[in-house]
Amino acid sequence: MTPLQSDLATVVEGVNMVWVLTVTFLIFFMHAGFAMLEAGQVRSKNVANQLTKNLLTWSVGVTVYFLLGAAVSTIVGGFTGGGGADVLGAFTDLYMPAEGAAGTWVNWLFGAVFAMTAATIVSGAVAGRAKLRAYITYTVLLAGVIYPVVVGFTWAGGFLSTLGFHDFAGGVIVHAMGGIAGLTAAWIIGPRMDRYNDDGSVNVIPGHSMAFAVLGTLILAFGWYGFNVGTAASPLAYSEADGVTLASFAYVGRVALVTTLGMAAGAMGAGGLSLVKTGKVDTLYVANGVLAGLVGITSVADAIVWPGAIVVGLLAGAQLPVVFGFIEKRLKIDDVCAVFPVHGSAGVLGALLYPVFAVDLWAGNASFVELLVPQVVGVVVIAAWTLAATAAVFGAFRAAGEARVSREHELEGLDSSEHGVDTYPEFGGRDEAVRVDGGVRIDGGKRTRGSRPPSDRTADGGRVSGVEKTTTEDGEN
Amino acid sequence: MSEELPNDGGIKMVIAIVRPDKLSDVKRSLAEAGAPSLTVTNVSGRGSQPAKKGQWRGEEYTVDLHQKVKIECVVSDIPAEDVVEAIADGAHTGEPGDGKVFVTSVDSALQIRTGKTGRDAV
Repeated sequence: MTPLQSDLATVVEGVNMVWVLTVTFLIFFMHAGFAMLEAGQVRSKNVANQLTKNLLTWSVGVTVYFLLGAAVSTIVGGFTGGGGADVLGAFTDLYMPAEGAAGTWVNWLFGAVFAMTAATIVSGAVAGRAKLRAYITYTVLLAGVIYPVVVGFTWAGGFLSTLGFHDFAGGVIVHAMGGIAGLTAAWIIGPRMDRYNDDGSVNVIPGHSMAFAVLGTLILAFGWYGFNVGTAASPLAYSEADGVTLASFAYVGRVALVTTLGMAAGAMGAGGLSLVKTGKVDTLYVANGVLAGLVGITSVADAIVWPGAIVVGLLAGAQLPVVFGFIEKRLKIDDVCAVFPVHGSAGVLGALLYPVFAVDLWAGNASFVELLVPQVVGVVVIAAWTLAATAAVFGAFRAAGEARVSREHELEGLDSSEHGVDTYPEFGGRDEAVRVDGGVRIDGGKRTRGSRPPSDRTADGGRVSGVEKTTTEDGEN
Repeated sequence: MSEELPNDGGIKMVIAIVRPDKLSDVKRSLAEAGAPSLTVTNVSGRGSQPAKKGQWRGEEYTVDLHQKVKIECVVSDIPAEDVVEAIADGAHTGEPGDGKVFVTSVDSALQIRTGKTGRDAV
């Protein structure tokens, strides 16, 4: 290799890494979107709890995905792909990459942001009643085992990939997986206590901020360009024979177009159906439709003809009210943020419609049936594994009585009862904890001169509710 | 306590519940009536106005507590009847939901800045 060729190869590798890191950061930003989307759809008393779950999903999950999850996906991919796997090697290759394997940790991070997208979807379904320790334990298992097994079957070279299952950026692997996991978790832990009446009729529980929900939606849509277009992850290639050529970027325009049309059609499909059903264009359905359209085309964005993007998007949006109504009224599952209609059924729909709009079909390179079979098998396998694993984990927590917070905490709101946080404090100023009988604590807990013991003075038997003071006895604060 | 003093020489509080969009009109007519001082609170309430439908993710639910503003106006030199009339003029549309006005007596008053009490405080 001459010096010039060697330089070109290095430049190509560098360009590819810059691209992967850029889209990785975009995908990471989707957590801001999820946080706002979910915060807006819960009541004001549960906002901080939802935000805490989102923060911990990333923090705990990404650590577990480094220590365990990424290697598990390699191992599962090797074993189910028929090639066998080096169990120890899967870990050492990640912990101590060989000299010159500059991309190892870049690629790990690229995979990790996809894993964490799947993980964070679940919190929206179980909002307002799931116990933090149950949720975090589930996140550990999702990041360490449940999601890596799905990736092992598919992107890591396992039997679904051998079969020809097509999921470009994770419409099923990430989104349908997350949506099915969320629905299963919400089913196992039961609805919020005021969601259903004794006669089975449903109470609508509006979220507290449409503005947050829509802001979160648009942040997610922005990050989604990284998710989909970024999955065309190797812009350039270099070989001695051909020099520098376009690699993934040979088809990146199709991904960008399909992603955009799918998103737009999803909003129109959902808005249109809500207009037909209720006579009004429902804001939240339009927002959910943006995401459902994106989910729908995520598995197929690299390989369908563009009119297919519009059809898939419209259907993914239009199915939202139908599927949400079925889950709510028939299955009686309280999916707070509609994560199954948005991520689950929309992802499955897009994957199953792949054969209809596949470029390969229209170009005459493949038959409908040979494209359809791997899609059906892939969806069934991933759905069954996700449902079984999630049901087992949350079932165990429910059996132990640890799946949900107490009735009192749920009524009071998880922000105050579980986190000691008041998301929307009404009044500021010096925080003196005032007793209900008019006594004032100015020392942050010690008795003031002449006062009786706290147990004599507070209505709840001694515990001063709310935020404990910052004022000291000499007036400093 | 002279007979000539308005409000029989006492202090009156006029409490009105009105439509939020009529607040500007009420403020203007109160100022014209010589009683510009007021306290305003956002409140919800139920009266003769029919329930409306709220919607969340395409599903309707009943909203029978309507957003209103509560106006509190304490007077001594201006007759409470004039204040009531001014509020009613400003808040009237003729549709159910215009609100109501109540008048109560006030036992005492203190102006915090000056320490004045009674009628002089108002």
